[in-house]
Amino acid sequence: MKNVRPMGAKRALIMLLVFGLALGMAFSQGAKETTSTPSGPVSLTIATWTSNPDQIALLDSFVQDFAKSKGIEIKSNFESIPFGEYNTKLSLELQSQNGPDLFWVLETAAPAFIESGLLANLDQAMKAYDPADISSDALELWSKGGSVYAIPFSTSPFFILYNQNLFAKAGAKNPDQLIAEGAWTWENFRKVSKQVTDNTGIWAFQTVDGQGYDARILHNLAPIVRSYGGDFWTEDGQVLINKSEAVAAVKLFHDMVYVDKSVVPPGNQSDFFSGNAAMTVGQISRVSKLKDASFAWGLAPMPSGPKGNAPVIGQAAIGAHSKSKHVELAAELVAYMTNKSSVAAMAGIWPPARKSVMDSEAFLTSNPMVTSVQMKEAVANSIKTGRVLPSHVKYPQIEVESKMSFDKLWQPNADVRKILDEVAAVYAKHIK
Amino acid sequence: MKKLSLQSTHRREAIIGWAFVTPQMAGFIIFVLLPLVSVFMYGMQEKNLLFGTSSFVGLDNFGRLFSDPLFVKSLVNTLIFSAGVVPLNLIFSLMLALYLGGGKTGTRFVRGIIFLPVVTSGVAWAIVWRYLLQGGTAGPVNWFLSQVGIEGPNWLFEKGWAMASVIVTRVMKNLGMNVLIFMGAVLNMPGDVIEAARIDGAKGWNLFSKIKLPLLMPTVMMVTIVTVIGSMRVFDTIKLMTDGGPEGSTMVMVYYIYHQAFRMFETGYASAIAVVLFGIVLVLTLGQWVSRKRVSYYEV
Repeated sequence: MKNVRPMGAKRALIMLLVFGLALGMAFSQGAKETTSTPSGPVSLTIATWTSNPDQIALLDSFVQDFAKSKGIEIKSNFESIPFGEYNTKLSLELQSQNGPDLFWVLETAAPAFIESGLLANLDQAMKAYDPADISSDALELWSKGGSVYAIPFSTSPFFILYNQNLFAKAGAKNPDQLIAEGAWTWENFRKVSKQVTDNTGIWAFQTVDGQGYDARILHNLAPIVRSYGGDFWTEDGQVLINKSEAVAAVKLFHDMVYVDKSVVPPGNQSDFFSGNAAMTVGQISRVSKLKDASFAWGLAPMPSGPKGNAPVIGQAAIGAHSKSKHVELAAELVAYMTNKSSVAAMAGIWPPARKSVMDSEAFLTSNPMVTSVQMKEAVANSIKTGRVLPSHVKYPQIEVESKMSFDKLWQPNADVRKILDEVAAVYAKHIK
Repeated sequence: MKKLSLQSTHRREAIIGWAFVTPQMAGFIIFVLLPLVSVFMYGMQEKNLLFGTSSFVGLDNFGRLFSDPLFVKSLVNTLIFSAGVVPLNLIFSLMLALYLGGGKTGTRFVRGIIFLPVVTSGVAWAIVWRYLLQGGTAGPVNWFLSQVGIEGPNWLFEKGWAMASVIVTRVMKNLGMNVLIFMGAVLNMPGDVIEAARIDGAKGWNLFSKIKLPLLMPTVMMVTIVTVIGSMRVFDTIKLMTDGGPEGSTMVMVYYIYHQAFRMFETGYASAIAVVLFGIVLVLTLGQWVSRKRVSYYEV
């Protein structure tokens, strides 16, 4: 009987060689891509946290205009990373060989990103800028040692969006009526909220994106805390979150949740945009979500406290990746995307930090869904009175550790002062 | 001449053997062994993911673990989670396997229902349960309870309930797989042994504990090891349902590793925690493996 002949040794050796060669080629190809000079169209990846197709199209139009002005071809790739995961995923990508060439940066992450060296110096690319047109305050957060590392494209205040139908149904004065009476305060905000819930059975207020108890806790509490004269911490390292002003402000919000039961509570998924809450907090970029709303809606600035009105300004900047293969081109594109004409085109979605655009009539009429009066009162004026959230190079640690203590607030019998003392201890540990 | 030919055949076979295992070995080395060794090395470095910096610190990261209250909390939470998931999973899956293995009517339908969560995406499962377990009467679970006069808690936002909720949803998600494994063992139990026991008068609990359970013990041991390891590695359920809260009450070790590595960017310290978790799983698995002979009469 003839034995079945196993695969020949030569053939096996050839297979091994082919496998090894294929593996080697795969790795060497990867290495070649990272070092070779690009020919033909330049590929640029831009990381953002928006996935809105209209907004992406607008950003892409800037890229194509820039390419035309340079006489080159740019193949843009917009990478949308969800807001809640943005810093995590972005930081991972930036350490790899294939990180984005340009990326948006959140204001709370600004010091850490600048300190990390991942942002390219933009001084050279910004030479054509008129420095007087950009408020120095707006650039302060994004600068270090006199150099700029990212340019804010959005200086967008948070304001109140409300459902007119629900206020009418409840027989309660809506925010605009209270503004007309000069009575748009946090105390009255609380009173009308209770009226709305008691009379309609529907939640009066949903926190910003429904994340006011966790990912957006600072956005949620800052307007109340600051209008009461308090704050979280200051740039010079003072911790203020457990001072009496902040405690009174947080207590007001806590009572709305657990005494009045007028706020969508933690874990409940009722949503303003679906008509299941009478008010929420939003920015101008969120207004597009109301395009097909089944109810009449209004827009008002944040209520005032004993120290006036203190809206939070959400600032977002764009920077170039210092390790990008096309770092100079990316830096030039950053400058182009934030020049006067680009900023004017974006103003209806992302309010600018440029004075010339902000003061123009074109800005006040830039969003077709928002009246010029609303734009002036809730956006332009709020940019003047508002402030960005506090930031720190240790913000990632502060955010994670303070959440453990903040979580204790969301119980009916929570001792607000004691919990804020704990939060203050976490802040003090990192802010020295 | 004959001897040379034998040597040459051996060599040829060895080369062929290596040719077959090389792709698998390459995959194992690149994707398992190297990362594993790297984790041990990173554990001895102060390594920051955002800043891209690293420096050798020896065993400092391991020393830091004992003074980190969040690590201790995550360790305790992991043990609580496993202590909840493993017995519940084993008891229910064994009970269901014994019932379904009996060949009663409708068992095929019940089998399908129980196995459905296993093929469902873990993400979808967690998101649906987060919706079902909303507080007040907004969540369907609490609405149902309110219909029978019970005021349900805010399941995922109250300390004690949050852990209980993730344990129960996790058990329901993975029950089907263990039921399937146990059913295979139940259907393979030697019928003559059981028949003989029945003739001798064994029934009910006696029949189960003295005859069926010992016959199933090798499978029970294997399922226990797999379930313990799985429960120690829980991530998606926690991430999507509670984010480790409230107050860190569901912060298990794997989620704490994620927090340290990707939210605080301390990759070195996160790797040290990963090494500890690896050690714990290894010890538990070895412990169960060594003790198998005491609780199992034979091996499959």
